[in-house]
Amino acid sequence: MKAPAIISCAVIGTALLLTPLAQAHHSNSAFYVTKVITIKGVVKEFKWTNPHVWVILTVDDGKGNKVDWKAEGRPPGILARAGWSPKILQPGETVTIDLSPAKDDSASGLIARVTKEDGTILANAPPPTE
Amino acid sequence: MNVEKIIFSMLVGVVGLCAQTAPPDFSGVYYPLNPFGRFAGGPRAGATGQPQGPPPRPTASAPLSDGSRGRTPDEPSLTPEYMAKWQMISKTRVAGSGEYDLTAKCLPPGMPAMMSMPYGMEVMQNKDKITFFSELNDALRRVYLDARKPSQKVLDDPTYAGYSTGHWDGDTLVVDTVALRDNTFIEGFTPHSDAMTVHERIRFQEPGLLEDTITVTDPKALTKPWETVKTYRRATREKGTDELREFACAEGLGDAK
Repeated sequence: MKAPAIISCAVIGTALLLTPLAQAHHSNSAFYVTKVITIKGVVKEFKWTNPHVWVILTVDDGKGNKVDWKAEGRPPGILARAGWSPKILQPGETVTIDLSPAKDDSASGLIARVTKEDGTILANAPPPTE
Repeated sequence: MNVEKIIFSMLVGVVGLCAQTAPPDFSGVYYPLNPFGRFAGGPRAGATGQPQGPPPRPTASAPLSDGSRGRTPDEPSLTPEYMAKWQMISKTRVAGSGEYDLTAKCLPPGMPAMMSMPYGMEVMQNKDKITFFSELNDALRRVYLDARKPSQKVLDDPTYAGYSTGHWDGDTLVVDTVALRDNTFIEGFTPHSDAMTVHERIRFQEPGLLEDTITVTDPKALTKPWETVKTYRRATREKGTDELREFACAEGLGDAK
């Protein structure tokens, strides 16, 4: 049996395919920041843009559908200090993303961390300043 | 005593006097201590192996939370009018709206919120002026040290960063800020009025550890002045973190592809 691509999940609405992002730069208030869900899929696009980076991730929803998740990350400045770079994610590679889901039940969320297939963890912040 | 000795003695005296009175140099790039609250974002990038434990919450930074857990005693104490305003904004945030989130609109956080400096701060200093730059939204504030005072023209033209003047009290920089817009937030989304003023005492707690004690006064919005202390660690070139990055917030506006 094929393992479900969505490893653990609290909130995935039925309107996943129907709800586009209403705006590009979100307030944290747009997300359930106390929840973190995990999705796994194939990178369709990685946008290294201010004020937030984006990972568009094609995810198998376990029901035969492919869903493009829009995972929003912290700013390039922060992520660069955490070890990210403009080409750290390549289209076609498989990654696991932990993220806080959007309140509007769209297939989107705020990135907590990204884990590459080789186990490399891309954290969403540099180490603390003591 | 010959003339040379006299001149030498005078030089020693002048140097000694200068050493005593020269203010500290705050110049440099800094990062706040615990910028992301309890979590620091999990293991450092480049670590291998399976993630251990639960992933961090993305926004543990959150004074930006939605207020659904109410206010804590260490937050500014609001008058009923401004408490009602806070509750109104909280409702919009719980509903997922960014309507009252200035930074989500690429606007500057304003004083005193900008001194949280979650993404890093650069301080530029000379005798007459000290400038604080925030990587978050490329926000800037200038503190004039040349004894000028805010004119009526300045007072009639409030801004996000306000108008700051300062002087040295020994090794401590004392700063007063006025002429602040009333649509910004003290911290998180705690509102204030056009009567808000900000007083700061900035000093090195220890070499490289900068401390800013901030007192916010607002007779319309606060039942009493509110004090908070921010601390920042100076970055070093050795760690490769002494350069901030361009933010260019508008790059992402209207582009969600």
